[in-house]
Amino acid sequence: MKILIIEDDAATAAYVANGLKQVGHRVDHAPDVRGGLVLAVGHTYDVMIVDRMLAGLDGLGIVKTIRGTGVKTPVLFLTALGGIEERVAGLEAGGDDYLVKPFAFSELLARIDALARRPPMATVETVLRVADLEMDVVKRTVTRARRRIDLQPREFRLLEYLMRNAGRVVTRTMLLENVWEFHFDPKTNIVETHISRLRAKVDRGQGAELIQTVRGSGYMLRAPA
Amino acid sequence: MRLPRVLRTASFRLAATYTSLFAGSVAVLGAFVLWTTRSALEQQMTSRIEAEAALLEAEFRSGGADRLVAAVHERSRGAHALDYRVQDPGGRQVAGDLPAAESGWSEVSTTGRSAGETDDGERVRVLARRLPDGTLLAVGEDTGRIEEATEAISFALWWALGLTLALGIAGGLVLSSGFLRRVDGIARTADAIVDGDFEKRIPERGTQDDLDRLARTLNRMLDRIGELMIGMRQVSNAAAHELRTPLARLRQQLETALAESQPASGVELALQRAIAETDGILDTFTALLRIAQIESGTRRAGFRLIDLGNVADTIIEAFAAPVEDQGKTLRGSIAAGARIRGDRDLLTQLLANLVENASRHTPSGTHIEVGLVATPTGARLWVADDGPGVPAEEHERIFDRFHRLDRAREGVGLGLSLVKAIADLHGAEIRVEDNDPGLRVCVDFGGAHS
Repeated sequence: MKILIIEDDAATAAYVANGLKQVGHRVDHAPDVRGGLVLAVGHTYDVMIVDRMLAGLDGLGIVKTIRGTGVKTPVLFLTALGGIEERVAGLEAGGDDYLVKPFAFSELLARIDALARRPPMATVETVLRVADLEMDVVKRTVTRARRRIDLQPREFRLLEYLMRNAGRVVTRTMLLENVWEFHFDPKTNIVETHISRLRAKVDRGQGAELIQTVRGSGYMLRAPA
Repeated sequence: MRLPRVLRTASFRLAATYTSLFAGSVAVLGAFVLWTTRSALEQQMTSRIEAEAALLEAEFRSGGADRLVAAVHERSRGAHALDYRVQDPGGRQVAGDLPAAESGWSEVSTTGRSAGETDDGERVRVLARRLPDGTLLAVGEDTGRIEEATEAISFALWWALGLTLALGIAGGLVLSSGFLRRVDGIARTADAIVDGDFEKRIPERGTQDDLDRLARTLNRMLDRIGELMIGMRQVSNAAAHELRTPLARLRQQLETALAESQPASGVELALQRAIAETDGILDTFTALLRIAQIESGTRRAGFRLIDLGNVADTIIEAFAAPVEDQGKTLRGSIAAGARIRGDRDLLTQLLANLVENASRHTPSGTHIEVGLVATPTGARLWVADDGPGVPAEEHERIFDRFHRLDRAREGVGLGLSLVKAIADLHGAEIRVEDNDPGLRVCVDFGGAHS
């Protein structure tokens, strides 16, 4: 993947760039607003990582400008501010996701993956399939090997999110934000508990476990190799 | 017994004291006026009687007893007639209708002297003189006129006294209610500031009077306190913010080191622990900054009508399973239709923190209940448990930053401070009550501020 980082803090930029290069991405780094704009408009990237607080211009301004030129590349904001207004303002300015510093590198990777492979608008599938697990989003039904599974509404949302991101790591925070809409960090193991209950319904008594734990990162739903 | 507030004001007490002093002066003055008037009238009466007696005596000297009797008859018919009696040396009454009197000044009472005057016991002041031939001449005047005059004057004086008191009290009430309104204005402002509206100031009238000067001084004091508070907040926020950046770098370096360390080695374990510690410190700073951000009140701008029942259902549904895994139960008693203006994300966090607090500090087997009812002015939300509870003297302090009941427990005590900050932002009153057994934290959304 080709990734642009617009970040004025050299330490953070190096940390992110090195980490991304190690997992095989190509990375460009712009340390200021002007360089960032030139690169963003002149090249094609899969994902852009933009610091929300840059010297000279608010990161929001850059993204608005980039979007104004018709560039639709997904943007992940980085910020030192954890406030909810910040998140809302970032999303309204044309950002696609938001990550508060400091973050675990696995969190950043998972979010970049999710952003880059986000399906284009209006082509959201209504029937999702992973191995012998099938979900009809419209009829609200789930079957595993043609056997029907009854899910609570929230379990349905959880499974839907996992299936839409099948093959990719989803972190605990991503699940809290997207499934429960909790934009804070509960000290209770909500995600763990609900995942284990979902596993009991989806995977128990089946040959292959579809919901897997990725140690230190999160969860992944994928067909067995 | 409690007096109405207006009667308990300092200005009313002042007015009442002044009024009673003034009424006392009016009474003394009135008594003096009454006394001088009365003695002047009596003096006039004495002179009149003496003059009449001298005149009649002169008649006697010029014409003897017959002339005297004729003169008495004639004067009795006159316009300014007094009362008379002429008595021959034998003691027989020959003219006039006064009763018998001793020589010299005396006061006698008469019965009705003419038809129509039925009231007896009328007091008459009499001067009797023995004439050279033994005839007794008496001249008298009814004291009733003096009594009438003094009565009229004292009647007027009583009225004056009554009016003085009535006007004094009425004036005192008017003055004190004006004073009370201004004092109430100051008290309302102070209450609003206590409730978190630091921008509020006491209204000044520009009249330069003492209350206005007091208001101005208090406002200056509030401005100064406000500046100091903003300064303090900026310093602590800046400190938290400045520390976050190096901590974030530290975490990055630790993570880089972890990636390069030998799997399953002692170094890897140590690095993982160091990362966890760093995360703990960062969490604390994040929570502190979040509380500061909420307390600044800027979030109010984004308030929307929120269905609290919906928030409560989401929380119960999310937490029921983990709470059950701890051997406790979480159930809801949620009434529909409880809507308030607020911030959905923050209200969700408020309830989540309360539920987490209840589940963290109670033993297995505890029942936790989330309750919600609509009230006429808003909604009441509560989280109750039947666990060991909290001693009553700790009830107020559990919202203090870093306050922990059990110092040995994990985690920093910021969850409930955050709850308090969110409740304050929404103008909600938060109370800690004994659930008997257990603890109940109650949040009353009043609607006054939101």
